[in-house]
Amino acid sequence: MGLTLELSRLCRAYGQFAFGPVDLTVDDEVLAVLGPSGSGKTTLLSLIAGITTPDSGSIQLGGRELVGVPLEDRLVGMVFQEGALFPHMTARENIEYAATASDRVDGLATLLELDGLLERTPPTLSGGERQRVALARTLATDPDVLLLDEPLSSLDAPIRKRLRDELHSLFESLDIPVLYVTHDQRTATALGDRIAIVRDGGLEQVGAPSTVLTRPTSRFVARFTGTENLFEATVTNRTPDGATVQFGDVQLQTTASDVASSAVTACIHPSRVDIEAPSVTDGDRTANTVSGTVTRWLNEGSEYRVTLELEDGSLALTANVRPPTFERLALEHGSDVRVLIPDASIHLIPDAERGSRTH
Amino acid sequence: MATRSDSNRSEAVTFGFDWVSVALALGGVLLLYYVVPMVSLFLSVPAGDILARMSNPTVVDSARTSLLSASISTVVATLFGLPLAYWLARTDGAVTKAVLAAVVLPLVLPPTVGGIVLLTVFGPGSPLGEAAIAAGFPLTRSLAGVVLAQIFVASPFVVVTAKAAFESVDQTLEYASRSLGKSRLTTARRVTLPLAGPGILAGVTLAFARAIGEFGATMMLAYYPRTMPVQIWVAFIELGLDNAYPVAILLVLIAAAALLILNTVASNPWD
Repeated sequence: MGLTLELSRLCRAYGQFAFGPVDLTVDDEVLAVLGPSGSGKTTLLSLIAGITTPDSGSIQLGGRELVGVPLEDRLVGMVFQEGALFPHMTARENIEYAATASDRVDGLATLLELDGLLERTPPTLSGGERQRVALARTLATDPDVLLLDEPLSSLDAPIRKRLRDELHSLFESLDIPVLYVTHDQRTATALGDRIAIVRDGGLEQVGAPSTVLTRPTSRFVARFTGTENLFEATVTNRTPDGATVQFGDVQLQTTASDVASSAVTACIHPSRVDIEAPSVTDGDRTANTVSGTVTRWLNEGSEYRVTLELEDGSLALTANVRPPTFERLALEHGSDVRVLIPDASIHLIPDAERGSRTH
Repeated sequence: MATRSDSNRSEAVTFGFDWVSVALALGGVLLLYYVVPMVSLFLSVPAGDILARMSNPTVVDSARTSLLSASISTVVATLFGLPLAYWLARTDGAVTKAVLAAVVLPLVLPPTVGGIVLLTVFGPGSPLGEAAIAAGFPLTRSLAGVVLAQIFVASPFVVVTAKAAFESVDQTLEYASRSLGKSRLTTARRVTLPLAGPGILAGVTLAFARAIGEFGATMMLAYYPRTMPVQIWVAFIELGLDNAYPVAILLVLIAAAALLILNTVASNPWD
């Protein structure tokens, strides 16, 4: 049974940059901390680890106050960006240095597939191997909290994907709060039980990956999590189970009914937009149907990114199209298509956010 | 275009000054200036003569005094210098700059002036000097005086070189060690010192070399017991140049040994 990590009113200012106040509770779960560089992600970890002292606020772990406790007494494990392995020790010596019991090394070596690497020194290890050794070293201390600072960011895509899969099952077995800092949305959604979006030293939104992805509370979160389609729109009609929004000459139905203001930003994630041939008429009744024209497309490997012009060209919409669909419709520049946007996929952000951006 | 630049280039070779040869000649002359006097020193006296004079009791005494005092000075300078070097390496700001300037001051101060400065604190006329004499432990004209003079001029080498060595150790490694539950002391012993070791050893070697060659401040503070540089001076003044050779050769050998250490176990700070 793991302890709960609780941050309250945590603040730290560095010259121009102000972190906090931040309130955050992390249980036995993986919290992916996602944000652009310079947003305060590493500061958050440094404060919890004890490398940085807060100006005010508290950090409690299972009810024990950590502020004021030296970092060596916190039982907070931290995996640093490049691993921070001791270069004058072999992989085994690095792990043994940290181990609470000498028999931990072999178990961790098996868990993290380090057999064969143990007698090598850090400079001879690859980036992925170094990160696995660093993780083993941190786990060898049996930490009460695990902090990871972009451990995969310097790795090549295939290794990153493999380690991401391995980490997912490893974290589940730990039963302690895990904070995983990354600037990569895919890593965050893949590993996080919840995601915290950090912006300018504050928490912009905290929630389950699906919620953050489909129900962003601000344009910043929407854009940072890959929602490229953001339109300034007006709510023209409101019903108990939805609303009608208008942008340009296009009118769309949405199931979103929780927004009070009439000036809104409508968010449509590109993966939720479907494309059909113009001849198909029997459609999904819960989806808006609009006619469109392909103006641009880009092959991104696992999917095509297609830019569409809607109706009379007043609106440009991006859609992610799976290769089979792309090939079946034989899409090319100028193709006419039927665009389907499910009512439930149009999320509305109130006007306040739009206003705050202009300040 | 191409043919034109080609012709320019050949012109430069034909009529221009050959700067590469000039540079080589300049450097070569300076190198000879270093090497020739050393060789000449060793050739100036027959080897048998040197060995005979080295067994002279005054020479043996001065060698013992020098080695003993320089060893003590180096140990003390290292003991007091490492914490300061670490602090200088890990802090930034106006205070750090001022402290570093104070550390470097003895390096740029003429050693005789250093000796005078020390006399105002430890000399027989000063309260501290008087108290020490009364306690039977005079700080001038004693081994203690030699050590005090040597520490003043030699310890900055430890501090400055060790500071650079500590700076080369990524502070993240120290945070990593402490986040693994290790105290500051364990972290220093197992992570920082081993990684900074070769650089620190370089500073220690330099300090030892400087201490054993110390003359100016030592002359002012402790003419007796005679160290090797003082003995060279005395032999030169009283008995002539020939008599100064054996000790000088001994000092050259010690300096060469220090250089050897710098290039093998320690990391040469000028590489």
